[in-house]
Amino acid sequence: MTAFQSFILKESRHILRDKRTMLILFGMPVVLMLLFGFAITTDVRNVRTVVVTAAMNPQTQRAVEALRTSEYFTLTAIAPTAEAAKEMIRRQKADIAIIFSAQGKQTAGIQVLIDGADPNMSQQWANYANGVIATALNNQQHSPSPAAAGSLASPTVSTRLLYNPQMRSAYNFVPAIMGMLLMLICAMMTSISIVREKERGTMEVMLASPVHPLMFIVGKLMPYLALAFAILCSILLLARFVLDVPIAGSFGMILAVSTLYIVLALALGLLISNVARTQLVALLMSAMVLLMPIVMLSGMLFPVESMPHVLQYVSAAIPPRYYIQAMRKLLIMGVGVESVTREIAILAAMASLLLTLALATFHKRLE
Amino acid sequence: MNSIAVDHISKRYGTLQALDDITFTVSPGEVFGLIGPDGAGKTSLFRILATLIRPSSGTARIDGLDVEREMTQVRRRIGYMPGRFSLYPDLTVRENLDFFATLFGTSVDEGYDSIRAIYGQIERFAQRRAGDLSGGMKQKLALSCALVHRPSILLLDEPTTGVDPVSRKELWELLGTLKEQGITVLASTPYSDEIRRCERVAFLHHGQLQGIGTPDEILSRFAGIFLPPAPERHIAPNTPAPIAENTQSQHSQQDNIIEVKHLVKSFGTFRAVDDITFSVRRGEIFGFLGANGAGKTTAMHMLTGLNQPTEGTGTVAGFDIRTEHEQVKRHIGYMSQKFSLYGDLTVAENIRLFAGIYGMSSSDIGRKTDELLQQLHFAEHKHSRVDSLPLGWKQKLAFSVAIFHRPDVVFLDEPTGGVDPQTRRQFWELIYQAAESGITIFVTTHYMDEAEYCDRLSIMVDGKIEAIGTPEELKQRFQQPDIDHVFTLLARRAKRSDI
Repeated sequence: MTAFQSFILKESRHILRDKRTMLILFGMPVVLMLLFGFAITTDVRNVRTVVVTAAMNPQTQRAVEALRTSEYFTLTAIAPTAEAAKEMIRRQKADIAIIFSAQGKQTAGIQVLIDGADPNMSQQWANYANGVIATALNNQQHSPSPAAAGSLASPTVSTRLLYNPQMRSAYNFVPAIMGMLLMLICAMMTSISIVREKERGTMEVMLASPVHPLMFIVGKLMPYLALAFAILCSILLLARFVLDVPIAGSFGMILAVSTLYIVLALALGLLISNVARTQLVALLMSAMVLLMPIVMLSGMLFPVESMPHVLQYVSAAIPPRYYIQAMRKLLIMGVGVESVTREIAILAAMASLLLTLALATFHKRLE
Repeated sequence: MNSIAVDHISKRYGTLQALDDITFTVSPGEVFGLIGPDGAGKTSLFRILATLIRPSSGTARIDGLDVEREMTQVRRRIGYMPGRFSLYPDLTVRENLDFFATLFGTSVDEGYDSIRAIYGQIERFAQRRAGDLSGGMKQKLALSCALVHRPSILLLDEPTTGVDPVSRKELWELLGTLKEQGITVLASTPYSDEIRRCERVAFLHHGQLQGIGTPDEILSRFAGIFLPPAPERHIAPNTPAPIAENTQSQHSQQDNIIEVKHLVKSFGTFRAVDDITFSVRRGEIFGFLGANGAGKTTAMHMLTGLNQPTEGTGTVAGFDIRTEHEQVKRHIGYMSQKFSLYGDLTVAENIRLFAGIYGMSSSDIGRKTDELLQQLHFAEHKHSRVDSLPLGWKQKLAFSVAIFHRPDVVFLDEPTGGVDPQTRRQFWELIYQAAESGITIFVTTHYMDEAEYCDRLSIMVDGKIEAIGTPEELKQRFQQPDIDHVFTLLARRAKRSDI
């Protein structure tokens, strides 16, 4: 057995015998995927709706029916007046109120009242409600008398969503979770495991042995590389079969870009381990320096375009941003390599910079 | 050609001069000792020879190879054991050994001859994880790992710290046999009996080489440092009453600060402490000896209320150790080797913290802090961070903090580990002072010279107390010249496989 093989064997044993860490490493992707997939969702679904119909006419009827049957809205009540509907929203009995005021057989106006506590969501609800009602009214105008419809119909804007026809948020967060977890596992786990050897004093013996220190480091990184791929695969499998996210792009390309990203993350981990002297410092550095910016600034939760300019510049320096972008393109849109060349180029440049930096600061001695 | 040639080596860390112009040589096959108090620069010298740090000036050669320029060849020739056991606790004994063998491009089978004598002793535990071994066995495994590639020079930085006397003896017997294989040994040690086993020793002090010579020469030239006279007790301890205690049993009951009857602690089927009965009188210095794994720490944990006994009864300072933990803790002080003080707090802040924990009032703390620092000659370090103090000072301070709230009894768990004889001697003066002021001392130690300073001793073997009495009584009973021999005699009877 060569020294290199025995490094890998030894490191794998460390990983496999630390049952709790293993559980967290494989449990985290599953929990995150399920949480984002089922619990935390920005999809519009089951919005509690109260309808106010002063006078029912066929048009109103149709609109109400359309709301009732749509999966976005749940009709919870029919209120007599607008005031009563407002009261229901205030009491948190409903999220949205739709008020039809009528004059004779024609619908004179439609007012939508929305609980605006969450501005992003209320905006979406409004759009959906408009869409549902408009479609219902248009259909009614079109179907019975096509001739009349031509004269009455005002031009309506029809919107069609590409790549994510059902507006499912899973399409957005699967790439984001991949970007976050791979960075976290590679950078945090490797930096901690290298610093642990410093703390235990085994690093001292390792450095005093004829084996080249870089071989020791590379041998140490290999099992984490394998671990990262295992986690990548488990995320993709969960996405495909549990969350029904189609994997539109070529699997080979996804794997290739991920490998580049993983190498970048490992280099970052090595860089952290060169600086940190204790496991605690390594952990804090990985968590604070990596996790927070990734979550906040990579475009995972908040769109980069709506950030203040200063933060947009900071965001440009965060590797996961490009990886997440690339994954959105490859995974969801299924476009070819040619459209992710920019991301790949930036990731490659960052990876080589970090790797050079990590190797340059690596100590072949104790000091 | 010399095995090791150190030529005008100096090493500075910032303003600290760790090594100052050191020059000496070691011949092939020699067992050479590097001795000196804590902070003398021994570890820096080992690290320079192990190619781990660069000297500020001067050169060092291993088998004629320069440690800076010919680093890789040097690394092939040395076996290095740093102060801490550099093993992977989650790998088994065999996996550790395999790993270190391949690290040096060899295999355990190839190198088996060179480690047979040592590894043979632990081979039956090959499948046990290194983290579950006792100190003595870890040390043997670490030594096997350092020897498996048949190095020509073995560098051992305090290999026996925290290891019981019997294991220490075994280790040095093994080191003696390496000479036959032509291996040069450079070892540092704080123990005077180990110094005597070297052929020559170099004495370092404050980074300077004070002398090189045979152990006897050096030990006698620097006797004040290595063989300090025993500290003197100004007040004779309560003369240990002979066995005829029955007549005054009423009285002795009250005077026993620790009283333990048939105490047992089991972990599953394993009886770590197996039916021990003893008592400690008020104001006594009681030495609690035993090899690693004999059950000392477990027993001590039960006495200090950290652990519930499985069977048996006991009182400490008049409180039941099974039911009155809180009361017990209030009346005792505790100092362990591992945790003593917060390194990132200053001396005064540490004292204030621990005194506060025991509910002392602020004004009392302020006044007594100044008194204490005066007494320890620490006054100018009142606002220094504990990290910056030498180990010996930290230990003295930790002890003073442990008795700051005037406990009835103080438990000391190997308080002087890894410290030079002179500092240990000063530490014992503090212990004597505390005992004179009426505090009972309950102490474990691996230093047998310290055992002689105790009023009474017990020696634990395999969870049971094998012998108890004054040092004189024990020596007479077992017909041995000193406690070291008594201990070795009893501890070698141990049947329990090392835990």
